[in-house]
Amino acid sequence: MKKKMKQTGEIIKKICQADDFTLKIYRTKNHFTRFAQNAITQHIDGENVEIQLDVAFDNKTGSASVNQYDDENLTMLVEKTESIAKLNKADPEFVASEGKHNLRQPDDPPQPTVNLKAAEMVDDIRKCINNAQKKEAQVSGISERYITENYMLTRNGFEGYDQEAHFAHSMTMRKGNVETKVSSSINDHASFSMDNMIQQLNSQFDSLQEPQKIDKGKIPVIMRPQAVIEWVSYLIWMYQLREADEGINPYTNQIGKQFFGKNFTLRSSVNNPLIHAPLFNRHGIPTTNIDWIVKGIINNMQTDRYYAQKKGVKPCSVFNIDIEGGKTSEQEMMKQVDHGIILNNLWYIRPIDAKKGEWTGLTRDGVLYFEKGKVRNAVVNLRWNEILHDATKRIISLGESLPIRYNALVPTMLIDGFNFVDVTTF
Amino acid sequence: MDILELAVGKAHSLGADYADIRIQNNQTEFVFLRNLSLKNTSHNELYGYGIRVFKNGAWGFAHSNIFSEEAVLKTVQRAFYLAEQSGRLQYGKGLKLATERSYIDTYRTPCIIDPFSIPLAEKVELMIEVNKTLLNYQGIKQAMFLLECTKIDKQFASTLGTRLEINAVYTEPTFRATAVIPEDSQSRSFREGGVAAGWEYIQNLNLIEKAEKVAEEAIMKVKADSLGDERRRTLVLDPIHMSLTMHESVGHPTELDRVLGWEADFAGRSFATTDKLGNFQYGSAAVNFLADNTLEGGLATMGYDDDGVPSQKWYLIKKGILQEYGTTRDVAPLIGLEMSRGCSRATHYFDFPINRIPNLYLEPGKKELTPNDLIADCEDAIYIEGQGSFSIDQLRLNFQFGGDMFWEIKNGKKVRPLKKIIYKSNNPEFWNSVDAICDRRFFKTFGVTNCGKGQPGQRGRMTHGGSTARFRNIRVGGSQ
Repeated sequence: MKKKMKQTGEIIKKICQADDFTLKIYRTKNHFTRFAQNAITQHIDGENVEIQLDVAFDNKTGSASVNQYDDENLTMLVEKTESIAKLNKADPEFVASEGKHNLRQPDDPPQPTVNLKAAEMVDDIRKCINNAQKKEAQVSGISERYITENYMLTRNGFEGYDQEAHFAHSMTMRKGNVETKVSSSINDHASFSMDNMIQQLNSQFDSLQEPQKIDKGKIPVIMRPQAVIEWVSYLIWMYQLREADEGINPYTNQIGKQFFGKNFTLRSSVNNPLIHAPLFNRHGIPTTNIDWIVKGIINNMQTDRYYAQKKGVKPCSVFNIDIEGGKTSEQEMMKQVDHGIILNNLWYIRPIDAKKGEWTGLTRDGVLYFEKGKVRNAVVNLRWNEILHDATKRIISLGESLPIRYNALVPTMLIDGFNFVDVTTF
Repeated sequence: MDILELAVGKAHSLGADYADIRIQNNQTEFVFLRNLSLKNTSHNELYGYGIRVFKNGAWGFAHSNIFSEEAVLKTVQRAFYLAEQSGRLQYGKGLKLATERSYIDTYRTPCIIDPFSIPLAEKVELMIEVNKTLLNYQGIKQAMFLLECTKIDKQFASTLGTRLEINAVYTEPTFRATAVIPEDSQSRSFREGGVAAGWEYIQNLNLIEKAEKVAEEAIMKVKADSLGDERRRTLVLDPIHMSLTMHESVGHPTELDRVLGWEADFAGRSFATTDKLGNFQYGSAAVNFLADNTLEGGLATMGYDDDGVPSQKWYLIKKGILQEYGTTRDVAPLIGLEMSRGCSRATHYFDFPINRIPNLYLEPGKKELTPNDLIADCEDAIYIEGQGSFSIDQLRLNFQFGGDMFWEIKNGKKVRPLKKIIYKSNNPEFWNSVDAICDRRFFKTFGVTNCGKGQPGQRGRMTHGGSTARFRNIRVGGSQ
């Protein structure tokens, strides 16, 4: 397919009359087996391709995309894109396309993931269902296999090809009011063990008996990696230099300052074998190691190419998440505070106040109350309203960082005084 | 080559109990302006077909963007194979599909001016004019305008003999102004969602006048006070705000697939379980929720759903009592229903159709009442316009909402703007607290174009609406 992508690039180079162009071809070959209530409910397979062309005449720009490779469609794509650009108004923030870069060599996608068959996925799901049936419970979830290829070519000499494959599985098991979920995504299916995942599911499920009431308030929390990745993902969404300079987000004039807690270090890494790193981002910027936040000090913020040029900094974006962990086990964390709750997951996170960095959300998939170093009982779900960067200042200890997603390495965190403002009825 | 016939014929010959093919072309034109910089001016097209095969009570679905005979046949075979694989772990004794007859029909969105026929320069000029209007106000730091015009052309055929051709269009303009002062930033938006109509909808909006109001209120808002700790107050909610509240707290809980636990792993389940049908007091007697996939301008108004079931209109909640759900052909029989309500929709050709919220609105009050009448009868209340922060639990019971603009009401009058207001409530407290709804003259709709649901995720579209309504005794306060 790389050859076909390159051929398409040659065609576009030949017929495109614009002063500048960026061609992006994104191809996916995905398989999804979805199950609910101990049965398969959906089973989806197919290939997609998106051919996107951005062109510019001087600083008048236009974009179009199609999903057909044939000459007729490619010619139409060029004509349409050029016609949009010619009719458009000039963009005062136009930046010419990227030039040549020396990129790292792409790794071959793991063959066990690429060659995974529908029947094998069904076999694995059967294990989940058998387990649920033994527990007289219902299990729902999805097994997913992704194969992705990404090609980019510009008038100014950038050419890049990247590929990846990963496998993901998530499942929620429920019996009465007890419900919990585990999920995992990894590059190489050979290192996936459904048995281990079922064991983790059962361990969470067995610990959750009929949830009891709890009062709202500021409560110490042990956040497991799945919960941490949820709020970190939202925090990153607003972590933009331009918005900071415009006074819109909380990070105004904070570069180089201790804005987060000292126990919070966030990086994007290209050489950590536990997490996937693409070779380049969607603008053709090669990925390199980036320290976003080190021991609470802001080092870098996400910056697009126009604003980076204006500010004289390098353009950058978060391409994977590598949060520094520690060595504290969950058992040890329970002893570091008098009491608290353990969170498996967070849900429905939304901003309340962009400038303050205040967010809301709920707990999900099981909450455990602990006291004097021991888990006492399950409790109902809670709503939290929290200024997330402030919460990082209350991190007491960190567990080992784990590959919670194929592109994210995240530890368990013990955070003091998390602000719970409401309790739910279940 | 008739691809529809080829696919359906092949599925039949393979031994499918039911099969359908949906050839779908989604074309979207985006123009995104940030301050006066055109960040995205694009025309995007996704064209292909998805084939569903139902065999031994289980589904298989395969899709392709290659229109050769060989590719179509291969895709049918793949879908058939996947249905067989699904059948190894079938639902009980196998799913059954609700009864349906065949239709040969066409549907086209009533549209006077095709939005794709309007020159790009005209669209961009209007957007720049709006952004300039916003940025002319001192204190507005950021002005955004996103215009989306979408055209969906579908051909559908099934082994029942149904042949449909559907051409739908919608247009969605959204703009926002952000005011900044040293200690805060606040935004105000014009956002009424998508409308299944052509460019005539934009022409009738008077966007410049709306931009002036948006900019003035953003500046007013950033300088406004918040409230202190939460306490119980009266809320008066405008229809645009309420559209989001009803989407989350009525629309999603009444999707039958959620009720049955089919979405348990991600989108969540529903508190509105089948034992509550016909007896659960979801809202006060003033509350009537109509599902209506025939609503003019509605984003779910497409003649038929992706099961080939015609659009319908029915009560989900009548006089406050839960009556029915939104259903599809595969879930309806699981609660003993003979027919589907036609809520099966997929976003793109490569998406499997799932149980979607229909167009859904709060029926206006019968008594003549204006928003000012509602406000006049409030001692201590908050009036909320537009949509802001929103979050609800996975059973769709407990929620917290913000808004886009807030006004304090004291002794029957709007006295001052406020900011950073949130309210918390739950089902059924919230809808049972409704004591007045304005009449039909004040009915407005909001077209949702980004309803996230499913695994893999899809962005669904439907329209909500209502007239301004009053809610008594709700927990309202300022954020931190």
